[in-house]
Amino acid sequence: MKTIVLGVGNPILQDDGVGLHVIDALRQRMNNPMVTLETASTGGMNLLDMIRGYEKVILIDAVKQMDIAPGIVKRFLLSDFQTVHSCNPHDVSLSEALRLAEQLGEKYLPSKIILIGITVNNTYEFGEHLSNEVASAVPTAVSLVLEELKNS
Amino acid sequence: MKTITIDPITRLEGHGKITIFLDSHGDVENAYLQIPELRGFEKFAEGRRAEDMPQITSRICGVCPVAHHFAATKALDAAFHVDPPVAAKKLRELLNCGYIIYDHILHFYFLGGPDFVVGPEAPAAKRNILGVIEKAGLDVAKDVIKHRAYGQKITAILGGKATHPVCGLPGGVSKGLSKDEVKEIKDMATSCNTFAKFSLNLFDDIVLKNKAYVDLIRSDPYTLKTYNMGLVDKHNKVNFYDGLIRVTDQEANQLEKFDVKDYTKHIAERVEEWSYMKYPYLKTIGWQGLTDGKKSGIYRVGPLGRLNAADGMATPQAENEYKRMFDTLGGKPVNSTLAFHWARLIELLYATERAKELIEDADITSTHIRNPVGTPGEGIGVVEAARGTLIHHYHVDKNGLIEKANMIVATTNNAGAITMSVRDAAKGVIHKGQVTDGLLNKVEMAFRAYDPCFGCATHTLPGGLPMKVNIYDHAKKLYRTFSQP
Repeated sequence: MKTIVLGVGNPILQDDGVGLHVIDALRQRMNNPMVTLETASTGGMNLLDMIRGYEKVILIDAVKQMDIAPGIVKRFLLSDFQTVHSCNPHDVSLSEALRLAEQLGEKYLPSKIILIGITVNNTYEFGEHLSNEVASAVPTAVSLVLEELKNS
Repeated sequence: MKTITIDPITRLEGHGKITIFLDSHGDVENAYLQIPELRGFEKFAEGRRAEDMPQITSRICGVCPVAHHFAATKALDAAFHVDPPVAAKKLRELLNCGYIIYDHILHFYFLGGPDFVVGPEAPAAKRNILGVIEKAGLDVAKDVIKHRAYGQKITAILGGKATHPVCGLPGGVSKGLSKDEVKEIKDMATSCNTFAKFSLNLFDDIVLKNKAYVDLIRSDPYTLKTYNMGLVDKHNKVNFYDGLIRVTDQEANQLEKFDVKDYTKHIAERVEEWSYMKYPYLKTIGWQGLTDGKKSGIYRVGPLGRLNAADGMATPQAENEYKRMFDTLGGKPVNSTLAFHWARLIELLYATERAKELIEDADITSTHIRNPVGTPGEGIGVVEAARGTLIHHYHVDKNGLIEKANMIVATTNNAGAITMSVRDAAKGVIHKGQVTDGLLNKVEMAFRAYDPCFGCATHTLPGGLPMKVNIYDHAKKLYRTFSQP
């Protein structure tokens, strides 16, 4: 199964960039020609362009929830997120982009999208480093991705 | 006093919220927009290699990487005392046109347009691109996707990389254009030009031919009489890449025109206790609080600000549309916030015409695209981001490292105006405590017109939180909560 593992985040907003750090760690661990490792600092429509043509997508991203401590890794399906609201004030969410693509009759859309979310804390201050809690969650996210790839 | 909170605008909790205070009659007493600012940029930049700034700053915001890239590059031109070759300037401007094309298309069809195409009080689940498709048809949607992608492709060819360009260097650019690339860009720009004209016709059919919409656009709650600001060329025409910063007043007369190197003489920033945002204002006029009119130094940037601050557009088709807009809406300046959408489409048309001019220019394939740099010092750069004037300011030490950095981003320039527009819209639509999703959307429309990009993280999970509205009674107890799917 042609697969892309896509780490999403901002490299200069501390914990926000955790998805990129997970891809860095994965690059040390694996070399599989069927699996593309990629990073992106962008949103819905551009992500759609990046995942087109792959059968399976594993997205790694920061998740911010008030009531959950930082550094917790969770696996989701895209369908877990009902909303098609904007992800930032000037873009659409990936689920909205995908629904749009489906309506337009696009072929080559992935049949499976898995999300690996890592809860984060500090994303309002510039910096390239992760907080300790989030950094210590990176190996867990890596294992989860490797596990997910075994099922491909 | 009752408090209504519209929260949050984005997927990140606490990322931005609108708080509305009701008086004892249930009418709006006041309303505030609050956005947490990103912190620590100055410290983050200190000690870094100056030539890395165009790459670093393009990551500040997932929305306007191209604008940050070139504001930084132009600040470095100034800091290294180098004037880039003509061809390099044209290549940069062409890249910037590609960015304006995709950014303005995205805003009109995905974000601002749905309010008109689907209706301002339509259910939230329909007020998006999918609702637009339902109304306008699949063929239109395919064209939207195609031309947005063309804008992206133009920036990718010139910038060397999709989304985040890597071509800007002090003194020029790192990459020229091949003959094949010229052909490809020319075809795409031509197609985008046709699509821009189509979009203006669509705006005519859907918005201008609908009296209710025109009344809405011209209504008081969406009117703000501020100063206007934008970059202009030597004929005072709108320019996105270069020129002088021009400010016009409430009668469309020029108040001042200055080189960005003097921006600190003209622009000051007000700090308010209740907000993380800074509120820039004109120094010569002064700060009078969040109020419009001649005595208040608050100004607007972005599509409508630019068109108001200029004497016209530098390309023929856009110039015609420019005149038509001002004729239709009662002359200059247009103070209707919702006219930002119209102005944006006129700028889209301009960007496609300008892209065609540049790609047909003999200089564009020149290989002389960089000049040698001089000794580093202080440098200030300015460009027009899609959403308004963007300034970067660096002090570079003798080893080429950043000593000090500052910037004023477009949405910050609009901060005072956006806050007032939200307040006025809330006052105009919420009466006697009656609050519905549709009415709250009309409040959101007031800031959506500006296409604000809050200094924001770039990613998408969990794909946008539902909008929450909390209403508090006069004892500040929560008594009602709205949420939209």
